[in-house]
Amino acid sequence: MTSGPYNYSYIFKYIIIGDMGVGKSCLLHQFTDKKFMADCPHTIGVEFGTRIIEVAGQKIKLQIWDTAGQERFRAVTRSYYRGAAGALMVYDITRRSTYNHLSSWLTDTRNLTNPSTVIFLIGNKSDLDGQRDVTYEEAKQFADENGLMFVEASAKTGQNVEEAFLETAKKIYQSIQDGRLDLNAAESGVQHKPASPGRPLPAPPAARDNCAC
Amino acid sequence: MHTSDSEDFESADEGHGSPEKKERKKRLSSSNYSDNALETDQQPQEPKPSATAVKNIAKETDGWDDFDIDDNEPIAPPPTKAKVTDSKKEVEQKPTNVKADQKSQVPCWDEFDDWGQDDTVSTQRTEPPKPVQNKQSAQPDPNIKEVTDRLAAASTGASGGWGGWGWSVDSLLSTATAGISNITSQVSQGISTVLETGIGAPDPEELARSSVKANEAKAPVPAPISAEDGDKLQGRQGSSPEAGANAGDAAFPFGSLFSGVSKFVETTGTKVISGGLDTLETIGKKTMEVLQDGDPGLAKKRALLGLGAGDKPVLSQVLREAKAKADEDDRVREEKREAKEVHYENLFDDFEGLVHLEALEMLSKQISMRIEERMRSVDADKRQDIKETLQQVAELCEMPEEEEDDDEPPSEGVSKADAFHERLQTATQDLGLKLQFQPLVKQYTDILTYISGSPDTTVKGIYKRAVSGLAQATALSVEQYHKAAEMLLVKTRRSTADEADALTQMTVVLTKHISELATLFTEKLNGLPSDNTEQVNTYITNIFLEAGNSSTYIQNAFQLALPILQIGAV
Repeated sequence: MTSGPYNYSYIFKYIIIGDMGVGKSCLLHQFTDKKFMADCPHTIGVEFGTRIIEVAGQKIKLQIWDTAGQERFRAVTRSYYRGAAGALMVYDITRRSTYNHLSSWLTDTRNLTNPSTVIFLIGNKSDLDGQRDVTYEEAKQFADENGLMFVEASAKTGQNVEEAFLETAKKIYQSIQDGRLDLNAAESGVQHKPASPGRPLPAPPAARDNCAC
Repeated sequence: MHTSDSEDFESADEGHGSPEKKERKKRLSSSNYSDNALETDQQPQEPKPSATAVKNIAKETDGWDDFDIDDNEPIAPPPTKAKVTDSKKEVEQKPTNVKADQKSQVPCWDEFDDWGQDDTVSTQRTEPPKPVQNKQSAQPDPNIKEVTDRLAAASTGASGGWGGWGWSVDSLLSTATAGISNITSQVSQGISTVLETGIGAPDPEELARSSVKANEAKAPVPAPISAEDGDKLQGRQGSSPEAGANAGDAAFPFGSLFSGVSKFVETTGTKVISGGLDTLETIGKKTMEVLQDGDPGLAKKRALLGLGAGDKPVLSQVLREAKAKADEDDRVREEKREAKEVHYENLFDDFEGLVHLEALEMLSKQISMRIEERMRSVDADKRQDIKETLQQVAELCEMPEEEEDDDEPPSEGVSKADAFHERLQTATQDLGLKLQFQPLVKQYTDILTYISGSPDTTVKGIYKRAVSGLAQATALSVEQYHKAAEMLLVKTRRSTADEADALTQMTVVLTKHISELATLFTEKLNGLPSDNTEQVNTYITNIFLEAGNSSTYIQNAFQLALPILQIGAV
C-alpha cells in the first residue's frame, strides 16, 4: 500500500529521559540529522524525531519521544512513557546532580513501562572529559547493578550516539526474536509493519491500567 | 424431457404390465411430470457409468417403439420384444442394484416415485449427446430410430393419444414461439420442440451438435453417416423432406430427421451457427422459463441478477459492456494507485501529526482519570458541583454555529499570511500561553507563493501539493493543541473560561484556514487549461475530502484537549 520510505517492518517507540540540560534533544538531533545544535531551546512537553534504521536486514522505524527535562513537566512527561520499547536515560558526566537523579528516572521508567523495555544509560558530553564529574567506572557499575546497557557519548562529536540508538534497537529486536517481547501486547512499544493509517483517529490503546498517578 | 419420463414408465408398463395398470400409471406419471423435471433440472446429473447409460438408451428405445405401437396399432409387441430382450441382456451384465431397480418397478406401479426409478430416468436424460455420436459412426442404431420416430411423429402432427407428450409439445411450442422469433414455419417449430423435448434438457451443446450435423448433411462431402443413409440425405437435401419416405424402416425417420433439420437450418439461415451465442442464450432463457413454471423463486433470482424478461441482452452487447466496465475499473484502479502515492495519512504521519495526536491522547486520558479520581475522593455534594463545572466547560467548547462569515478583509498592506497570524494571535490572546504559530504561518506563506506563480503547472503536481499542504497544516494545527495542553498543565494560574474560549476561537480560525487552503488549490486546478476535466474533478473532490478529514482531525484534537481545560476548573 505504501512504498519508498514507508516500507519498514517495525516501528519502535523510544523515549529519552533525564534531567534538564543533559543534552537529550541534542543527542536526538545528532542521531536524526547528524548535526549538533549548539543552543537547543528547552523542550516543551515532548518533541519527536524519527529515523529508519536496519537491524538484521529488517528495516525499523524509530519513533523517538524526546521529553522535557524540566521538573515542572515531570507530570506531563510521565504520561508518555507508556508503550516505549526503548528508554534512553541520559545524564551529564560533568554534572553530578544529573547522575544522582538517575535512580528517580529509573524508578519512573520501571513503573511506567513494561518489563521488556530496554533501558540504555548514556553519559553525555564525553567530549568535555576535562570537566568530568562522574567516572566511567562508577556509572558502569550502576548500569550493571541495574541491568542497563551503558555508554558514554557525545552529542557534539557524535561519538557513540549512533551506537546507543542502534544497540538499543538490536536488543529490542533480539527480544522479539526470543519471544520475550510480545508484539501483540498493547504496550510493547513495537508495531509490526507500519500501522496502516485509518481514517478515524487511532483507536485508543485498550484500557491501560494507570499506575503511579 | 417430460415426455421421456412417461415414456420410460410406459416402456416398463408395456413389457410387463396390464392395460389397466397402464392407465393408472399414465395418470401417475403425468402428475409427476413437473416434480420430476424440476428435480432433475435442479440437480445436475453426475455422469453415470456408461453401462447404465447404454441400458437406458435401450430402455428408452423400448419405450418409443412401444409408444408408437401403442398409439398406432392395437397391440403389436414384435419389435419391442426383441429390444426388450436386448435390454434385459444388458441389465443382466450390470451391477445388481440396477437390476433390482428394474425389477422392483415391474410388479408395483406405486413405486414409480421411487428414487431409484427417478435415477434411471434422469440418467437417460443426460444421454442425448450419445445418439448423435453414434449416428456419426455406426448406423442403424436404435437411438437414432428413437429420435427420428419422435421427429416423424412431431412433424406429422401427433395423434390424439399422446398424453404427456402432447402436453409437452403444446407448452413448449408456446415457449418456442416466444423464444425463437426467427423460426416461422410450423414444422421448424415442431422440430425445435422435438429436439428439445426428445433430447431431454435443452442442452446447448446438443443443439449445436445437431446443427453441425445438419450442416454436414448439407455439405457436398459425404456425410460421416453410413454410406447408404448419407447418400440418401445428399440426394434429398434441399428437395422435399418427404423424399425419405421410400427409405427403409430405419431410414425413413432418419431421413425425416435430417431433412427436417436441414430445413430448420435453411429457414433459420446460418444463425444457428454464426449466431450461436444468440441461440445458446435463447435456449438458456427458455430453460429458465420452463424452470420458473415450477419455481417462482427463480424469477426473483433472475430479477436479482438483472436478467429481467423485458430486456433481451445480446451476448455480444453484454461482452462489449463488460469490456468497457473492465477498462473503467482499470482506470479507477490506476487512479487509486496514484492517489496512494499522495496518501494523506502517510503525509500526516510524516509531518508528525499522528504522533502529536497520540501524545495528546495519552495526556487527555491521564487527565481524565485524574478528574475521576478527584470526583471519587469528594462527597456527593461536591461531586455534583464538579460535574456541573465540567459540563459548563464542555459547553464553552462547543463549536459556534457558522454564522459570522465576516472575514474582515485584511487591512491594507497586510499580507494574507500576516492576517492569518494575527487572527490566530487574537483568538488565543486569553489563553495565557506563548504558542508558536510561525510554522503554520510559514507554511501558509509557502503555499500562497506556490499558488500565485509556480513553475509546476501540472494537474497532478498541484494535487499532490494540495494534499501534502493540507496534511502539513493539519499536523501543525494538531501540534498546537498538543503544545497548548502541555503548557496549560504546567500553567500556574488557570482561567478555564478564557482558555476554553480561546481554544474554541483557535479551532474556528484553523478550520477556516483549512477550507481556505482547499479553495486555493481547487481554484488553481480549475484555472488550469485541462484536457481531462474528469481527472480534475476527481482531484478537486479528493482535495475537499481531505480538507474535511483535516477539519475532523483538528476538532478531534480540540476535544482531546477538553479534559485539560476542565481540570483547571475543578
